[in-house]
Amino acid sequence: MDADPDIEGGADTRRPSTFNDWLVPAVIFAVCAAVVYFALQLDTAPAIIIGEAMQPRSFPIFLMVLIGVLNIALIAQLLRGSRMPNPKHAAQTWVTMALMAVFYLLTVYVDLFVGLMVVIFVMALAWGERRYWLAALTAIVTPLSIFLLFDLVLKVRFPRGVLTELYYG
Amino acid sequence: MTEALAAMASVVTDPYLLFLILVTTIVGVVIGALPGLGATTGAALLLPFTLTMDPVHAIAVLSTIYVSATFAGSITAILINTPGTSAAAATCLDGYPMAQRGEAGRALGIAVVSSTIGGIFSVIALCIAAPLLATVAYEFRPPEYFALTLFGLSMLASISAGGAIKNLIGGLFGVWLATIGADKSTSIERFMFGNYDLYEGLHFVPVMIGLFAMSELLVQSTRLNLIVETAVMKAVQLPSMADYRKIWRTILRSCGIGTFIGVLPAEGATVASMIGYSEARRWSKNKEEFGKGSVEGIAGAEAANNAATGGAMVPTMVLGIPGSGTTAVILVGLLVHGLRPGPYLFTEQVDKVYAIFGAMMVANVMFLVLGLYAAKLFARVSLVPTALLWPIVFALSVIGAYALNQSLQDVWIVLIFGIIGYFMRRFGFAVAPVAIGLILGEMVETNLQNSLKIFDGQWWLILTQPLAAFFLVLAVLGLCGPVLFGWLSRRQPKDAAQPET
Repeated sequence: MDADPDIEGGADTRRPSTFNDWLVPAVIFAVCAAVVYFALQLDTAPAIIIGEAMQPRSFPIFLMVLIGVLNIALIAQLLRGSRMPNPKHAAQTWVTMALMAVFYLLTVYVDLFVGLMVVIFVMALAWGERRYWLAALTAIVTPLSIFLLFDLVLKVRFPRGVLTELYYG
Repeated sequence: MTEALAAMASVVTDPYLLFLILVTTIVGVVIGALPGLGATTGAALLLPFTLTMDPVHAIAVLSTIYVSATFAGSITAILINTPGTSAAAATCLDGYPMAQRGEAGRALGIAVVSSTIGGIFSVIALCIAAPLLATVAYEFRPPEYFALTLFGLSMLASISAGGAIKNLIGGLFGVWLATIGADKSTSIERFMFGNYDLYEGLHFVPVMIGLFAMSELLVQSTRLNLIVETAVMKAVQLPSMADYRKIWRTILRSCGIGTFIGVLPAEGATVASMIGYSEARRWSKNKEEFGKGSVEGIAGAEAANNAATGGAMVPTMVLGIPGSGTTAVILVGLLVHGLRPGPYLFTEQVDKVYAIFGAMMVANVMFLVLGLYAAKLFARVSLVPTALLWPIVFALSVIGAYALNQSLQDVWIVLIFGIIGYFMRRFGFAVAPVAIGLILGEMVETNLQNSLKIFDGQWWLILTQPLAAFFLVLAVLGLCGPVLFGWLSRRQPKDAAQPET
């Protein structure tokens, strides 16, 4: 399995955190409850179609019950002293997530490639690149190369925006 | 058989395919050498580039990325003590100490040769085992497939990353994701909330790119201050005769271990390399050298992790059950290109299947050559500034996801699953079980529904089918395995501490 053992459940030597310990099981229970609620709102299939098989709602509910049982086992582990990882989220992580939101807005209201250019430039600076010219060059060359490759070679049509409008005419 | 051999040989006579394999091997080695960008992320990012390719070429590209990136993780493991992929984590233990004492070239030589032998061994095993398994799989009906997919999911309990419970929760979450969209038998909409782009369910590719590439990008943003020390290397050396005498048994053992572990659903190169390494240590006459720069340690880990690549392709192609995170992406590639994995692939598309196997064989030879002559160059790739590399990965991820269906919704799915994957990983959940659960989800539900129809709703009659019962017993063992092994390992030191009477 390609995974990072440091992050994904490797030996946790960090400071235990009661908040994190209970946050994860609480979120899992909340998701399960929400899914069960929405599953119960699903239409019921007539017996002539469904026959002896399950209703469409049954399988998701069954899955959520299983997850709930596993979550109880997770809580039991916590009560026996095992701890959830207590990750420290870097400022750059929040900036990157905020950039994703900015990318969404720019793509919807301006242009996909404007969004990419802004994200690449700001992310490079936020992640510690101090050569502004290099960050700007990467922000221009990367989307341009990707656009040409996908448009000319892979024949992909991109959504029309301020920049793509100029190209597509 | 003649047809299969001819199909394998056709790879060598197709200059375009050879060129593709060469380019992809270089890309794969670069991806594997970059810490954070492993084979799974690489395959997910490259999948959209294969869209216009012939199916054989496309799957050959993805398989080549798999084998070459799995090997390349060892380059940075040896030179900078940072495994390029988690499958190379065990290689750090002896590779870096060797590099520190000025034997980086020798360590890399052993890693390259061991990886190549492991890779070629596993492709041969794949060529033999896959058609045999396919003949058994012809007999499978819905109850057998249902039990088999349950076995695949149960194996999530014992994969290396995350804990058993967390992996199972992740896997079941993935299965639930597969229920989004219209129900296959009744067309009743489930969890779509009026979004008709979800009618056919979540597209696999954007979910994979989000879970693997975008979440990795966010994880990397927390590691910007890590400082790495680089060991000096003059040139890669082929192992000497003395080295070969020391490692040949270890390599053979690890080839077997890696291939076997790879075949198990949901297990992969990381588990294989860890077991390969620990078995190398167990059988070694020089146990004291392990952790200080043992050539057997490197050979044991590297032969096993590359042997797992061929092994993992067996359940992927024959049963449609991915053997690892990367094969989950390759399986999506097969589906995208119209190759439905399953036993019939081996009768209806035998030329394509064996051409893919042939491409994997050629890729193993190519990374041997590249590893020996260009490892020093590839090691420099790890010095690419993170602040420039990952914004480029962001751009490739979103455009790659868009390209498949030319839908912006797929781009938003990448971002959403990137964030979900990030928080999962930061709280100790692995993301690969979610991907595997998503792929197996439809198989589980459809085969359960069909089994219920066959047995008039009496689900317990599934147990009366010998093969299905066999897989269900394996599934129970898969679930209990971690608990049993945990109990045994806790008990062992106590027993050892008991004074002899």
